[in-house]
Amino acid sequence: MTTSPSAGAAVLAAALALPGMVPTVRAESAPESAQIGFKYLSYRDSQPGLKRVSVDAPSVSWLVPVAGSWSLAGSYTLDSVSGASPRWHSSISGASRMSDFRRAADLRVTKYFARSSFGFGTAYSTEHDYRSNSYSLQATFSSEDNNTTWAVGVGRALDRIDPVNAVVVDEHKRTTDFLLGVTQVLTPNDIVQANLTIARGRGYYSDPYKQIDERPRERNQAALMLRWNHHFEDPGASLRTAYRLYGDSFKVDAHTLSAEWVQQLPRGWTIAPSIRYHTQSAAKFYYDPVYDPLLGEPFPPGYLTDPGGYYSADHRLSAFGALTLGIKVTKAITKDLNADFRLDLYQQRAGWRVGGPGSPGLATFRARFVQVGVTHKF
Amino acid sequence: MRATIVLSLVLATAGCSSIEPVSPWQKGNLARPDMTFEGDGLESRFLEHIYQSKENASGGSGVGGGGCGCN
Amino acid sequence: MNRDTTPRAIARSLAVLAAGLALATAAHALDVGTAAPELNLPGSAGPVKLADYRGKLVYVDFWASWCKPCLQSFPWMNEMQERYGARGFQIIGVNVDAKADEARRFLSETPAKFVVAFDTKGEAPKSYAIKGMPTSFLVGPDGKLLLEHAGFRDADRAALEAKIRQALGGQ
Repeated sequence: MTTSPSAGAAVLAAALALPGMVPTVRAESAPESAQIGFKYLSYRDSQPGLKRVSVDAPSVSWLVPVAGSWSLAGSYTLDSVSGASPRWHSSISGASRMSDFRRAADLRVTKYFARSSFGFGTAYSTEHDYRSNSYSLQATFSSEDNNTTWAVGVGRALDRIDPVNAVVVDEHKRTTDFLLGVTQVLTPNDIVQANLTIARGRGYYSDPYKQIDERPRERNQAALMLRWNHHFEDPGASLRTAYRLYGDSFKVDAHTLSAEWVQQLPRGWTIAPSIRYHTQSAAKFYYDPVYDPLLGEPFPPGYLTDPGGYYSADHRLSAFGALTLGIKVTKAITKDLNADFRLDLYQQRAGWRVGGPGSPGLATFRARFVQVGVTHKF
Repeated sequence: MRATIVLSLVLATAGCSSIEPVSPWQKGNLARPDMTFEGDGLESRFLEHIYQSKENASGGSGVGGGGCGCN
Repeated sequence: MNRDTTPRAIARSLAVLAAGLALATAAHALDVGTAAPELNLPGSAGPVKLADYRGKLVYVDFWASWCKPCLQSFPWMNEMQERYGARGFQIIGVNVDAKADEARRFLSETPAKFVVAFDTKGEAPKSYAIKGMPTSFLVGPDGKLLLEHAGFRDADRAALEAKIRQALGGQ
């Protein structure tokens, strides 16, 4: 394991870094009271023989109703990321090490009418070598009886990439995404949601910290997410299930299935075990750990004969199946104060892929993430 | 092809108009936090982002997320 | 599944969904000036009948333990009952929780200074054709509907109180 050459400065590998602005479809009615929440995430991942990335991320989120029919919401996250990432496949030798801070903030303002709402959001995230600015607009429209709600949204993100190792300088990536969704109340104990998101991106997608990584300069993605919440009166529990179908122009096709059982217990306790399964095909330009006989590791076969070709040895673009087992415990301390604890154990394996062979020659990837938080309503 | 058919059937039954509309006073259980789709904002963000950076699929929950240096 | 069919499959499925979803037909709303539907429900201290309050200005409020704006409206309703009760004003809070236990738990934390009736079957809100929770009605001394109000926000307090005074001022 060596540190990449970069005099004095920490080298940033492609690693987990958390923005405060991953989008979610918002509520359709104005909040009744102000709310503040704190959460601390501790993330560790590894592969056999190599402890990889560690992230510690405290964050705060807040929501205030304004003037009766408006709301203002925001969050701020500070991540400290450190660790090592293989520079190709699961290679431990020559793994690049890094340590960095990442700050992310977002703000959203929403106006509510009786059966509709309109929101504008902006987000900002910055780290040593990557800066991102994004904006979004979202609107919801509900039927007279409030049983059907349509949501539409559009977002735009502008990213600037300036890797510390100067493999490229002042690169850009621009993404536009669209959302069309519908939520439908079916019975007093059933509600379903379908969301279609489409994204078009142009710019720099390669990973500058991987030894051989040349990706196309555009990526188009589409995802269809179906969700269903069902409440069981007798045990006092809700079953939350979701399925997402995904495809993109990198030729990655993925299916993600998840389920969570939220069980009410006496004295304000709630326990919620969850399971998530994800399977994906490899990107068309991902290559297995079979190297060129002349050039050797990490060069793909025929590398020199195809100068404009696309290649990546990033295991995240390989074909695999992944399983997460999670458990969350919540306690209502008072009517206005809640505390929660969540643990997830994640494992990614080529052998777990469904619908085709997994990519060979990659080490099992494991991660565990713990979240501890409190929320207070005013 | 088969997947398309199955998907369409699931969605069609979800929108079946023979289901009686739910009245406002019957929405007690739907008001529970565990029956909404918003969930815990910070938790959803953390999880969505972890999966986005360790797998290659994303989307389905909203618009406007930016990027990060995690490719 | 290859890339070419996935976006098309998704688009086709969504078209099916859009066609399949039924938008609710608008409920038949009550008109101002018509007779308020009768109420005959169990209350915390004996049966509650709207007819018993003929001659008074009645504020019928449909509430539930799970309805957050209801929590905001109770202190205001208590205030109104105290202030105008002597002038012939009566609030009837009709609870629509499916389980009366939930309603009692709410009342033990947020007591009501007005008459409370329990309608676990949902007959009363159906006869009043309410479209959302909470919904309140002002019923004149002659039993005719004066006003229907949906929701409850801070900004509503002053306007509603003004309507109550106006209706009482005529006496």
